[in-house]
Amino acid sequence: MVNRRYIDGDNAKFTRKDLFLVDVEFYTGEKLENVEPRRLFPLSGLTRYIILLDEEGEEQAVIRNLETLIPASRKIVDDCLREYYLIPKIQQIYAANDKFGALKFHVRTDRGDCSFSIRNIHADIKVLYGNRVLIRDSNDNRYEIPDYTTMDKESISLLLCYI
Amino acid sequence: MEILLTNKQLNTELTAVMEEKAKNHGGKLLFIIVGDLNAKAEYEENALAISDQWLYVWNSTDKKLSYEIPIKSIKTITVKRVYGNALIRIEQKTGEMLDVFRFTYSVASLCDGAAYFITRLNEGSTLEEEYVTLKSVFEKQMLICPRCNRTLRRAGATCMHCESKGKIFSKLWKYLAPQKKLLFVSLLLSAITTSMTLLPPYITKMLVDQIIPGKDAGALKIVVLVLFCTYLLQYTIGGFRGYLLRVCGDRIVAGLRNDIYEKAQYLPMRFYDKTSTGAVINRISGDTGTLQNFMLRMTQEVIVQFFLLFGIVIIMFVMNWKLTLLSLFPVPLVVTGARIFGKKIAPFYRRIWRRWTAVSSILTDTIPGIRVVKAFANEKNTVKTFERYNGEWLKTDIKAAKILNAYPVIVSFCISCGSLLIWSIGGRQVINSATTGLTVGLLVSFLSYTSMFYGPVNFFANLSDTYQSALASIERIFDIIDAEPERNMGQGEQMERVEGKIEFKNVSFSFDRIKKVLKNVSFSIEPGDIVGIVGTTGSGKSTLINLLMRYYDEYDGEILVDGKDIRSIDMESFRGHIGYVQQEPMMFRDTVFNNIAYSNRNAHIEEVIHAADVANAHGFIARQPDAYDTLLGERGVGLSGGEKQRISIARAVLKNPSILIFDEATAAVDSETEHLIQEAIERLICGRTTLMIAHRLSTLSKANKILVVDEGEIIENGTPQELMALKGKYYKLVQIQSMSDAMSKERFE
Repeated sequence: MVNRRYIDGDNAKFTRKDLFLVDVEFYTGEKLENVEPRRLFPLSGLTRYIILLDEEGEEQAVIRNLETLIPASRKIVDDCLREYYLIPKIQQIYAANDKFGALKFHVRTDRGDCSFSIRNIHADIKVLYGNRVLIRDSNDNRYEIPDYTTMDKESISLLLCYI
Repeated sequence: MEILLTNKQLNTELTAVMEEKAKNHGGKLLFIIVGDLNAKAEYEENALAISDQWLYVWNSTDKKLSYEIPIKSIKTITVKRVYGNALIRIEQKTGEMLDVFRFTYSVASLCDGAAYFITRLNEGSTLEEEYVTLKSVFEKQMLICPRCNRTLRRAGATCMHCESKGKIFSKLWKYLAPQKKLLFVSLLLSAITTSMTLLPPYITKMLVDQIIPGKDAGALKIVVLVLFCTYLLQYTIGGFRGYLLRVCGDRIVAGLRNDIYEKAQYLPMRFYDKTSTGAVINRISGDTGTLQNFMLRMTQEVIVQFFLLFGIVIIMFVMNWKLTLLSLFPVPLVVTGARIFGKKIAPFYRRIWRRWTAVSSILTDTIPGIRVVKAFANEKNTVKTFERYNGEWLKTDIKAAKILNAYPVIVSFCISCGSLLIWSIGGRQVINSATTGLTVGLLVSFLSYTSMFYGPVNFFANLSDTYQSALASIERIFDIIDAEPERNMGQGEQMERVEGKIEFKNVSFSFDRIKKVLKNVSFSIEPGDIVGIVGTTGSGKSTLINLLMRYYDEYDGEILVDGKDIRSIDMESFRGHIGYVQQEPMMFRDTVFNNIAYSNRNAHIEEVIHAADVANAHGFIARQPDAYDTLLGERGVGLSGGEKQRISIARAVLKNPSILIFDEATAAVDSETEHLIQEAIERLICGRTTLMIAHRLSTLSKANKILVVDEGEIIENGTPQELMALKGKYYKLVQIQSMSDAMSKERFE
């Protein structure tokens, strides 16, 4: 049986070490250095169950819920996670062409404009509940449409051809 | 002479800046990787350039070089892959850490290549050697057609869009040519039936204008008889033509399937590493059908429909040119409608397909897994999920039904309106026939031709879509047919007898030419040796076997069998001397007998029974009601894991190989079955060179030699006693297993 160490509320203080790394100091005085926060549920639970991995990739602790951390610590972990997970949110679809077995999208995201191709329309575009759409391109990059019904009409009609 | 490699055209000014910089530093720019993210992970084009001496990073935001680092000052360079993006991290000899270049996975392989290039240069490797490796990485990344910028099916594949139409046709002609006589006959027959379809409206005109008003009963009989004969001939010829076309189509599709299947057998394992077996099966089953339809359409329907259209228009113009122009009025509407409809309807079909796939995936999960559903009392949830997905399908299908039905109705309405126009103007001309000369018969016959006219119009309106979808199928099919087959460099070089001496000499191997899976591996095995290969998961054990089996031939170093480089031996002859027993034995949909005799089709019945005896399989086979005639289902349904394994051992026995390979043969069975299999293995390996990959070290009790593989290297090599005395990795593995066995025994007691 693994004795998992959970971090709740203010029982730990975080400091940023690197783009992806943090140090943790527990109220007991114990310290974790150079640990990397990672989501256990990168698609379905963005703020819950964040594990902290050491340099060897071993799990050192788990943050049950980011929202319960003290604001400064929460921001640090949030920033790290934002750097680690790049899932651009698609805001508008400029064009979608399905030719020769590959679907090409040209979109506007929260990180700027980009184009990408999808090899398998059926496996790489997933519609989840709440009209959330997850897309994986041919290079294994991920994109998300949080709620496709909130996009403009043209984008919806382009997307609807493939979902 | 090294040329400047780049994954994307960069503006010439920027390239010139970097080339100038490299020149000033006394070097030459070798490659530029155009990335797609800035340091804040926002989309922006940045560039990483590497010369033979320096590394440069261009920052588009500041429009300047953000890093200029001499390669010699780099201590380590790594690619840190995170989720959806990655970074190149450099640790300088001064100890300073830098995140120099950020990018999405789109250029990750290139950046891996760049990091490897610099690491190797700093390790003392030559520039020429590393440049060649890097060049192959760049070439593999060329997934975009340089001419039309479309994504290719795989790196280096031919872009069907840019391939000349003549070339595509010449590829297809191979399959059409054997059927050319039948196709010609069928075309001739279709010309006859098409001409016949043009006859009845003309006869109708005669009936209405001359025979009925003239009350000519004799002529009526003759005309009806002529019509009867016309219909009889038309449908008989039509039926025969349909048969001929079916024969042609079947032969074309069979030829295509044979070629793809044959090619699929000889494709290298590298092809299957990248292409799922499901995709290959789809190409053999689905795409060939699409292509068959297309070829028949292009060689038959296009010609027939063209002549039909041409014939009808000529007849109509001859009858009445004014009415002809009037009847052409709805054509643009129908053509445009067909184009729009084609585009609108495709997503609906796709959506229905997706919903249906979701429904059927629940079926395939839960019906075969009904025991699990019942065991967890999950019937209600399963039904609920099924109803939810089925409901989604229903909703989508009902939605699609609207548009699916709307188009034909609208088209029919347009055509009917067109005929109303003809009725109103033509009818008026009939009323004033004294001045216009238009008769009732002519008007009726004209209307018949008008309705016939829309068949070919619709056909040509949708031809482009058929062509597009066929092009996608052609691309997928020729991706296999044109793919480079497994190289058989020693073709014809037979090996009559194999003693079983195996040598690996400085063997290094990489799947992607970047990360080495095997590093400079050298060892030697004497004939009759029983060698255990141990190591943790992913250490490279199976890769050793894959190279020995010649699934991959592109490696550095040499693998010798009886002193001969295995790449210089005929592939079939070489593999004929090796027996391979996998962890998950593959059973074919055939009888138990044929499954054993798979390794030797000419084996005598008694040889097969003997092989089953050796493999401890005869007993359970004989107990089956159909014994050796027991038909095995897909993947050996009907047999337990241990039974399947024993059949696969019997297969190896029958082959009588000089070299035997066991890849975790007893990993998935219980202790009692393991004992039976072990017994079978011991009988089989007697006198043969044997390599055994095993996690359970107890299965290596007969081994006289152990190879310990770790991170692609042989870290220990010797007899079990020597390795135990060494107290290294093998010793540790033995200790861990003994401890775990003791604990399980204790718990059991």
